[in-house]
Amino acid sequence: MERRVFLGFAGPSIVVMTLLMVLPLAMAIWLGMHFITFDNVLEPQWVGLRNFAAALGDQRFWQSFGFTALYIGVVVPSWIVIGFVVAVLLDQVTGFARGLYLSIFLLRFIIVPIVGTIMFRQLFEPSGLLRWLYQELLNERFRYTEQTVKSLILFHGIWYVTPFTLVVYFAGLQTLPQDLIEAAGIDGASRLQKIRHIVIPHVRSLTLFILLFSIMDSYRVFDSVFVLTGLNPLYKANTIMTYTYQTATQLERLGRANAMAVLTIIGIMVVLIPNLYLSWKEQIAER
Amino acid sequence: MDPVTNRPGRLLIHLALILFAVYSVVPFLWTALQSIKKLRDASSRTPKFLFTPTLENYEELWLRSTPDNPESLAFFLLLAFLLLICLLIFAQHIPLRRDLVYGAAILGLVVLLWLIPQLLDTASFYDYFINTLIVTTGTIVVSIGIGCLAGYGLARYAGMLGVIVLIAALAFRALPRLAYVLPYYWIGSALNLIDSHILVIITLVAVNQPFTIWMLRSFFMEIPKDLEESAMVDGAGRLVAFLRVIIPVMWPGIVATALFTLLLAYNEFLLVRILTQTNWTLPVAISRFTGGEDPRHLTLAAAASVSATIPIVIVILFFQKQLVKGLAAGAVKG
Repeated sequence: MERRVFLGFAGPSIVVMTLLMVLPLAMAIWLGMHFITFDNVLEPQWVGLRNFAAALGDQRFWQSFGFTALYIGVVVPSWIVIGFVVAVLLDQVTGFARGLYLSIFLLRFIIVPIVGTIMFRQLFEPSGLLRWLYQELLNERFRYTEQTVKSLILFHGIWYVTPFTLVVYFAGLQTLPQDLIEAAGIDGASRLQKIRHIVIPHVRSLTLFILLFSIMDSYRVFDSVFVLTGLNPLYKANTIMTYTYQTATQLERLGRANAMAVLTIIGIMVVLIPNLYLSWKEQIAER
Repeated sequence: MDPVTNRPGRLLIHLALILFAVYSVVPFLWTALQSIKKLRDASSRTPKFLFTPTLENYEELWLRSTPDNPESLAFFLLLAFLLLICLLIFAQHIPLRRDLVYGAAILGLVVLLWLIPQLLDTASFYDYFINTLIVTTGTIVVSIGIGCLAGYGLARYAGMLGVIVLIAALAFRALPRLAYVLPYYWIGSALNLIDSHILVIITLVAVNQPFTIWMLRSFFMEIPKDLEESAMVDGAGRLVAFLRVIIPVMWPGIVATALFTLLLAYNEFLLVRILTQTNWTLPVAISRFTGGEDPRHLTLAAAASVSATIPIVIVILFFQKQLVKGLAAGAVKG
């Protein structure tokens, strides 16, 4: 295909992405250099780099960054471990049962995230099932405190996205080289040894893929934190996304929020650049 | 892996999977249970499992006033809805032109949706439901339309420019949403488009476009080149060959991508929250039921959650194969 024809086909899509992704990003930098509230949206006032400096000096910005890092640190490894273990177990089941389990596991994945969080939260509302269990087991009233809210966010995070890693690992297991497994069986390898020496190396590239995508996705966690905290600063459970959102909507500092959004991009570069590099190499090789 | 064959082992595996299944669905079942309780039962000191079920939460959510003959109306609407769904399912077996049957069924659904507020005194939740349908449909049509063209181009063009577009799309997909959603607010204000469907649709198309072109491209790559080349030898132009020869073969891939686009548009919260003031979609409308002082929000949130979930579950029941296929295909998470 010639370049001219390619541009004809890809043109509309490229125009949309340029106008509504590249341009807005440049605009975010520009808006970040202005003082804007909802009253002067269209007549922003130039302040230079002051918003960026203010964001970097803002203790709560760093606090939200810290909680986001904690979220990633707890949730991503859990997704990988639980997803892998359940995929191996599911691989043992065949036929109708397999499809049934898979549909049940996938339910969380298709649900509207906001709705999923509300459903999760229902368990902890007054007379909620888990709230009641908590009180019976620990003999202590369940209250929304900084600690419990943060734990709920982490717990919900683990609950919500495991199906994704599960399905990817499950698909990976279907391509396992059977002859290797058989050879290992003849050599008298135990099941755990097979998992350790054949299965885990086999899914290594998948793990890298899951790791990069999971980190990028959990870096921008928003919906669940929004529902579970109600953006109440009391819980000190802001993630960078909710804090930026709060700065824009509740504090009405649109300029500062834009500056913060731009700054958070730098944070994601750590995983984004290796990811882009890998994809670039892959695409060049494929050509 | 070779299967475990001894009985206790298999029992343990099923036990573990059942436990995981329970862990997966408890919030859904509990919320569904809460949604059919009277507020008194739903907020009792200990969880109640024995209670008189009621539909009053759903009624309060969807209707402003109770109709005179709710049973017959509900029966009529449900019957019409089921008939149209059956028409869609069994379209292949009807000895008429298939696109005519599909068109008639979809037209019927639209008429039904228009008829409901004429027959019943619907509450604002119904408007949010309609908004969601409009936004989701619009996003799918535009996104898949331009995405197919681009995905095809990217699958067949070997130049460097194609790689650059793909990698740039990947980079933009990964960026924190707010970095472009906040400027959208500014653009929307400048063009006086805040609260309009068109702004939500076009921005949703844009933020999902990277994912859409990657996924469609991977499906186009699976189609052998000879297919359109032989058509082009016969004198058809590339665009004609694409529309007449490639698209019909691509249907499964298009359906899978459309399914993911549907989920992404139906689920979007942040973008819609910022770009609308009253024309909310369901996620934004439902988020209003969290927090707040009104005790009724407890059961209303439950009923709203179930209401928003049912349409998605129906769609997925039809297309589960495509969903799993798409998920497994790789880089496919919104």
